[in-house]
Amino acid sequence: MNGAEHILDAFHRYSIDTVFGYPGGCIMPLYDALVDDATVEHVLCRHEQGCALAADGYARASGRLGVCIATSGPGATNLITGVANAHRDSIPMLVITGQVPSGLIGTDAFQETDVLGMTLGIVKHSYLVADASEIPKVMDEAVQLAQSGRPGPVWIDIPKDVLLQEATANSVADFIRRSPQKTDVSDLVSMIRAAHRPLLYSGGGISLAGAEDSFRGFAQASGLPAVVTLKGIGNAGKHNPHNLGMLGMHGSLAANRAVDECDLLVVIGARLDDRATGKLDGFAPNARLIHIDADAAEINKLRNADLSVRGDLTNVLEALTAAMEAQPLAIEDWQKTCRDWHTTGGFPAADNEEPLSPITGPAFIRQLSRIAADDTVIACDVGQHQMWVAQHYEFDHPRHHLTSGGLGTMGYGLPAAIGAQFADRRSTVINVTGDGSFMMNAQELATIRRYRLPLKIIVMDNQCLGMVRQQQELFYGNRESQINLDDNPDFVAMARAFDIPALHIERTDQIRRGIQTILAFDGPMLLHVSIARDDNVWPIVKPGASNRDMIDESQRTKTPKKEQVA
Amino acid sequence: MNPQNFQDSHTSPSHTLNCRMAFEPAALERLCQVVRIRGFRVARMAVESVGDQLDIQLTLEGIRPIGMLKSQLEKLHTVAEVTLSREPAGFGERVTLASG
Repeated sequence: MNGAEHILDAFHRYSIDTVFGYPGGCIMPLYDALVDDATVEHVLCRHEQGCALAADGYARASGRLGVCIATSGPGATNLITGVANAHRDSIPMLVITGQVPSGLIGTDAFQETDVLGMTLGIVKHSYLVADASEIPKVMDEAVQLAQSGRPGPVWIDIPKDVLLQEATANSVADFIRRSPQKTDVSDLVSMIRAAHRPLLYSGGGISLAGAEDSFRGFAQASGLPAVVTLKGIGNAGKHNPHNLGMLGMHGSLAANRAVDECDLLVVIGARLDDRATGKLDGFAPNARLIHIDADAAEINKLRNADLSVRGDLTNVLEALTAAMEAQPLAIEDWQKTCRDWHTTGGFPAADNEEPLSPITGPAFIRQLSRIAADDTVIACDVGQHQMWVAQHYEFDHPRHHLTSGGLGTMGYGLPAAIGAQFADRRSTVINVTGDGSFMMNAQELATIRRYRLPLKIIVMDNQCLGMVRQQQELFYGNRESQINLDDNPDFVAMARAFDIPALHIERTDQIRRGIQTILAFDGPMLLHVSIARDDNVWPIVKPGASNRDMIDESQRTKTPKKEQVA
Repeated sequence: MNPQNFQDSHTSPSHTLNCRMAFEPAALERLCQVVRIRGFRVARMAVESVGDQLDIQLTLEGIRPIGMLKSQLEKLHTVAEVTLSREPAGFGERVTLASG
């Protein structure tokens, strides 16, 4: 068995049956081995960035390991954005790249790059394999490392000669599996009981830990008013009466006010990201803080916790739930106050009753949320549409919301949707994108056609980079600089060039019919939605400001003359 | 405890940190990358290989809490142990380990 065959052998051992890749010179031995392998489906994307982001979407939607493969040099460097994206959002990913033959490393050989060196900051761990006999052990270790503790991408760089080298396996990695221990949560319970205005703050760590059910059990048993981060959307489900939704820069007034006025913040599976907290000095100024997370390095990183637990979230949440069920909290007044805030300070109703009026982003997303089934997977891109989805789409599960949270990668949505569709061929997957983001990985339309994926694409087109335009309007004196995209291609014709049927809508009365049409169609379909250029995402907190200083639409003052800059 | 940028080395506190890690490709780069991105500057570095391990003593300058860097270094898969010559006062209140 050669090195390449040892990789496939590890795929079989770990039931890895779907990988996303793009061949090239130094990875050819692995592609040669794939020819004879009937159990691993290789998905050929049209750009290595698409491979990495599809592997990311596959992992987020399924909870399984995402795998991507590329060759040396440009193949590897093209993966980097997708791997960084996975790293920032703690997505379990295995990355395999070919490297120039061992004897040529360091000679500036054709398609040589120092992959190990240039990726150190975006991986959980990485390997440069020197001998094929190491591959089984490295694969075992990498697969388990990527998925354990706080997950993340693990990169294995393998010289071409090592992929071709015949070898017998050394012993496989001896990974220690610790069984969950019973956790003493008495101090946590005491602190929660002592609080008058306790607030639950959860993030992406809930689903990363597979603790969705335990979290809901605790949320229900405690009745704690709750806010979520962008990656925590869906944690509480659609029907939790105490859920105040997303906090932070584009969070609701209600969520940010609750954080501002709570006297205890129970942070679970979240890292107190700056987009969520705003200026740290003004964040939850009256609150003590409990921090529960899988990663010890997150505890006390940005704000000292008064009490913290590092470890298995399910274990902790189940212990907390038992304590809450044994003796419920008496926080009815605080619950009512938060509900009132949610009623008056939730995201403003966005429906427009005027049938011939232009489509607004929030109105469209609210309709989409009402029409799409609860188990629909929405893969967003990055920008205004991403925030409108976060604000106005009601998610029932965090794995239904795929979004690039930490890195904010434009171009994420389409390949991520492809990955999610491969995770479950029968699921309904919708890529909600903007005109800027869509063009960043539009080549993946060819992947949709090749594999006859039934996913739906909604392009919310405002003919500009809307989020940048918005911040230029609000924070740079309305001086628009390099945001104009009014020379976009005809997206309907573009989709049809890939054999993907497409529709265009532009009026409010066309929203329902447009959404119903693409969802009913048996196959991929694109809906091009023209929206107003000057719509903003409201509310907004100025970057670096306190969440207390939210700006809403009533404070909008448009400078009459826009200065177009080059 | 907001993260802050580098300060002049004459005004930054100095810390001594000992690290034992696996002698693997890019081991020192991996260590130094974390030190740099987390806001510290290497003033002195001594490295000795012991079998398949590296013993590294670092003198670092930086104004961020050194405990934050220690916990980031401990996350590296190939790092076996990190010790500070003096634990900073007040860093990290009670942390309970729930399970592995």
